[in-house]
Amino acid sequence: MAHFYESTLIDTVDGFQCKSYANEHPDNYVIVKPKYVPKDAIEGEGLKFRFLFEKCHARFNLFAKKEKLQGYVGQFRKKFPDYIYDCPITKNWFFVVPKNKIKTIHDGRKGLQELLKVPEKDLDEYLLLACQLVDFLAKSGVSAKDLGITHSTLLGNYTPGKSDIDIIIYGKENGWKILNYLKTAKHDKLHWKTDEEWAEYYQEHKTSESAHFTEEEYVKHMVRKRYEGMFDGTVFTLFTVEEPHETWFKWGEETYEPIGIATVTGTVADNYNSHVRPGFYEIDESNLIEGNHKMPVTDNEIHVKRIVTYAIPFVQQAVIGEKIKACGLLELVTPKKGKQYYRVVVGYFDAYLNDRREKEFIKSLG
Amino acid sequence: MHFYESSIITTVDGLHCQVYGNEHPLEGILIKPKYIPTEKLQSDILPCRFLSGRKMNRLNLWADRSELKRYIEEFKVQYPEYVYKSTMHDNERLFFFVPINRIERIYFPKKGLSELMSMPVKSLDSHLKTVYDFVTFLLESGLKIENLGVTYSTLMGHYLSSISDINIVVYGKENFWKLMSYLEKAKHPLLRWKTEDEWMAFYHRRNRYSIFSREQFLRYMKRKKSEGYFSDTLFVIFAVENEEEAWFKWDEEKYHSLGLVAVEGKVADNFSSVVRPGYYEINDSKIINGYKDVPVKKIVFYSRDYCMMAYPGEKIEACGLLELVKTKDGKQYYRIVIGYFDAYISDRRDKEYIKVINDGK
Repeated sequence: MAHFYESTLIDTVDGFQCKSYANEHPDNYVIVKPKYVPKDAIEGEGLKFRFLFEKCHARFNLFAKKEKLQGYVGQFRKKFPDYIYDCPITKNWFFVVPKNKIKTIHDGRKGLQELLKVPEKDLDEYLLLACQLVDFLAKSGVSAKDLGITHSTLLGNYTPGKSDIDIIIYGKENGWKILNYLKTAKHDKLHWKTDEEWAEYYQEHKTSESAHFTEEEYVKHMVRKRYEGMFDGTVFTLFTVEEPHETWFKWGEETYEPIGIATVTGTVADNYNSHVRPGFYEIDESNLIEGNHKMPVTDNEIHVKRIVTYAIPFVQQAVIGEKIKACGLLELVTPKKGKQYYRVVVGYFDAYLNDRREKEFIKSLG
Repeated sequence: MHFYESSIITTVDGLHCQVYGNEHPLEGILIKPKYIPTEKLQSDILPCRFLSGRKMNRLNLWADRSELKRYIEEFKVQYPEYVYKSTMHDNERLFFFVPINRIERIYFPKKGLSELMSMPVKSLDSHLKTVYDFVTFLLESGLKIENLGVTYSTLMGHYLSSISDINIVVYGKENFWKLMSYLEKAKHPLLRWKTEDEWMAFYHRRNRYSIFSREQFLRYMKRKKSEGYFSDTLFVIFAVENEEEAWFKWDEEKYHSLGLVAVEGKVADNFSSVVRPGYYEINDSKIINGYKDVPVKKIVFYSRDYCMMAYPGEKIEACGLLELVKTKDGKQYYRIVIGYFDAYISDRRDKEYIKVINDGK
């Protein structure tokens, strides 16, 4: 088991740019999502390209059409088998970067500290805005030293007026402190999407995830989240990552037996870990219910305790005391110590390639 | 050793370097450090940029001289392996250098442009689309895509669409002259040449008051076709030498400096005045100041400002370091050099120049 901060960019010796996709990782690997791969690495219609760092890169998009994505992943697996980890403890697979393939790790925390040292007169409008946003977030009481930047903000390949500002918050406690602060904090440049704007967004950006929500439900879920907002017209996104002592599981201390697709309801008992990736909702009074799938065969003595998400749209989706409903991969969890339990996982990589893609969701029933 | 000028090298110590010359010693590549991390040394008078996750100083050779001198002295202490002691030159000559083992990555302009031109056009943002259209226009000159490259921020990906220039590299002096000749007459609705005001802004930035009158400056700058605007984006076109074209080979000559002199002469050949280092071959030289009147054969420069300044038959005047050159085969001649790095931290910075004094018109 090894800790490696989520949302951290890694360049590999094979020319990939990847983003770490969890905070806990198998030994000698970092679980990642490939972000950009050299264009000769995968071929096919529908890929988007970007000229980055001297090369034409294909953007690896998990939301590409399923049949096409299956083709891309198939090619990837064949050409770069080292970057796929067939996981013995989940019996699933992950995109990974083997440690010996890491070329550069872009440290988001260090990057922000460097950015904050640059005199204002030398900052362009985008970086100036990023610094002002950090100043504002630091008013929550979280030190700027516990913040970082990532993606194009860190690498410098942003486009002012177009690129998001991507902020990392180091530490779950810090994450909640900022998210709570943002519930009431005011700033001239700060804007949260209104109900109407979320409704418009829903209409314009239909995804397999939002398809499970009516417009009204979608708006209700999104409008209370504080991980994405606008600062002087530029979208910003906040990614909370776990410190090493905060991780909610250690790799290898549990094993997971996939049972099949399931729909569960329950009451949220704890949402403390629902703002990280992977995040989870602890639930009580769980019930496996019928859904658009076969009913899985389970042991009635064992309960569903957790709804886990790898998908960012489902973070901060429900709070304590709310009824919750989710559809995902049911797993039987066997800890090294303690009792077995079930969990439902949403957003494993394989889900984007199979029929779970259209079926998975997490929804608060209020 | 040949290595193309204008390629970009990032180093394991985080420096972004611009390859500075086409001929290099075997131990590494001569460079100008373009962006230097501020952890080990920094200067408030140098501009800053946030690049590669770091606060970097941009080395501006026209910054306040005493502070620049302090900065470079400190650089030598903090990064001694990036300073090259040339056995061909006197001790005072300053060369920056990346030893082979400090290279992290090389960005090749030719490879970068070829990748860019292979992109689906719809994937290009406005800056890259301008580059694409500009290169498409340049290819009408008859040059091939493999004769061209793109460098600096466009190559590295940290350009800002509204601010960044387009820096085009032409591989081969012959190709470059061909392109310049094409641009003399070529028309394009998005192409325009620098206005007098735009050239004068450059004149003021480089403190050229003492060297050129406004009229002289404009006259000789306006005939350059290597800088202009395409779709309102500034472009600069550089030539780099192919290996077989290099006008000198590293380690085949020795240079002994004899002090600052002013010289005049008639340009016999300007073919290599398009590269860095470039030179004008002159006839009928006369040293007018600083040393006895020895025959000077070449006026060499490292500053791109002096590229294509003068043409054969024109009378030029230059002030720079007089060097006695001894070749491997026992011959010797004199040359003047303008723009060694050490010139920028001495009073030579404001004294060195090349100018046309009579173009026959």
